[in-house]
Amino acid sequence: MNNVIECKNLTHYYGKKLVYENLNFSVKEGSILGLLGKNGAGKTTTINILHGFLQPREGECLIYGENTQSLTPETKSRIGFLIEGHVQYAFMDIHQIEKFYSGFYPRWNNKPYWELMSKLKVGPRQKISTMSCGQRSQVALGLILAQEPDLLILDDFSMGLDPGYRRLFIDYLRTYAKEENKTIFATSHIVQDMERLIDDVLIMDYNRVLAHGPIDDFMKNFKQFNFKIGQTDRDLRKEEFVVNLEVAKDEVELYTYESEAFVLDFLKKNNIPIKNFTSVPMGLEDAFIGLTGKY
Amino acid sequence: MFKSLVYKEWIKTRWFLLILTLLGLLAVGNVFLKLQHNITFNEANKYWYMILFQNIIFYKSLKFVPLVIGVLIAIVQYVPEITNKRMKLTFHLPINENKILMMMLAYGTIMLLLCYILLFLLYIGLGNTMLPKEIMQASLSSIFPWFMAGFAAYFLGALITLEVIWKYRIAYFLAASAFILFYFESGLSGSYALINGKLVILTLLLSISLTFSAYRFRKGEM
Repeated sequence: MNNVIECKNLTHYYGKKLVYENLNFSVKEGSILGLLGKNGAGKTTTINILHGFLQPREGECLIYGENTQSLTPETKSRIGFLIEGHVQYAFMDIHQIEKFYSGFYPRWNNKPYWELMSKLKVGPRQKISTMSCGQRSQVALGLILAQEPDLLILDDFSMGLDPGYRRLFIDYLRTYAKEENKTIFATSHIVQDMERLIDDVLIMDYNRVLAHGPIDDFMKNFKQFNFKIGQTDRDLRKEEFVVNLEVAKDEVELYTYESEAFVLDFLKKNNIPIKNFTSVPMGLEDAFIGLTGKY
Repeated sequence: MFKSLVYKEWIKTRWFLLILTLLGLLAVGNVFLKLQHNITFNEANKYWYMILFQNIIFYKSLKFVPLVIGVLIAIVQYVPEITNKRMKLTFHLPINENKILMMMLAYGTIMLLLCYILLFLLYIGLGNTMLPKEIMQASLSSIFPWFMAGFAAYFLGALITLEVIWKYRIAYFLAASAFILFYFESGLSGSYALINGKLVILTLLLSISLTFSAYRFRKGEM
């Protein structure tokens, strides 16, 4: 499969503050990649670089083989772009905005747009600025779908949406992407939304990538073990196999890519007294917090 | 694509264009109402003499009208683009970024031109019924820089509005204000007659300044 997005050796600073150094990732054609990270980890920076609204200090991003700093109009017409907060031309109504965009895209197909609009309880001449956040999200999504892009870049798509609209948005998007073999690059603050949507995950922390690969592999390999720990001089945080350790009094949450047998064996070999050892099933949000830490 | 872009700009500006043009026409009408009043009470010949030799500037109430129209059109057209960084949507349209800005600027310039032509036509139409040709010609060459100032204010207003960093915006505003004063050096009849051509070229050159804000926006200076 070809890479639709390829970012190589990205390094960026804001003033003297390093955002990330030598960041590399790619998105394969037909896949849905979710970019996860805490606030300030560089999600919006990455989106801005992908759109050509920010020039990285070093490195480059390619979309369909073109540097994102100088995308041709033909390539831009293949990319659907959802801005954080579902920003659109709010001074237009749903008819005006559809008419406006239809003039730019040769493959314009207004069917999915009007399908989504029919679900909204809005007046035909109601300005987008007077709509609720959820309604605006459907307008923005409908416009992207009508554009028939090959690649969708969605920046914090669940922001401000209530659970119903989030579910509607995600289910519609995933079905559409899989039926039409679309590629999606998405970020969201609400991690559990991603679980229903994405095929691959890229988890970023300050200055580095913590995980990148198929979400199924990540969820299968990344594990949480809880146990009570007795008196020991050994600092588990320093062990190579420990990705993260959260300790509250004697309650321990240990996150690792190693197996249960490996962890138990390690604890036994090193005479670390434990009780109530359990393997805890995780959702993506638990795994994300386990990987990046609670604060 | 151009048609679609014009459609968007039209939606943003149509009511303001209509209202500002009507107000402009009222301002021109007001100049000639006052002129008619003065001619009636001073006798036409005597008042013409005062215009020619006593520096009576009968049209001075028009001085800042084109400027205000230019500034307001720039605000109405470009503020919605920077609100919520909507410029990202515009730059994502499948057209070269500089080309799209120039198309938006061309729309604003043409609308402003149409508005000013209407004001000029009313000015000429009313003026020709009350004033001799020589006085009209001299007054036209004097109000011409004010209309050029309107275009300059529109171009610089667009540059200032699209700039995303406030300290730069203030710096541009101060520089633009100083520059605009050049168009208002003198209101005396015929005082700009010799440089009006150069003023047109200078004003047109200002139009490309907008691409600088766009360049800064795209490099992430926000």
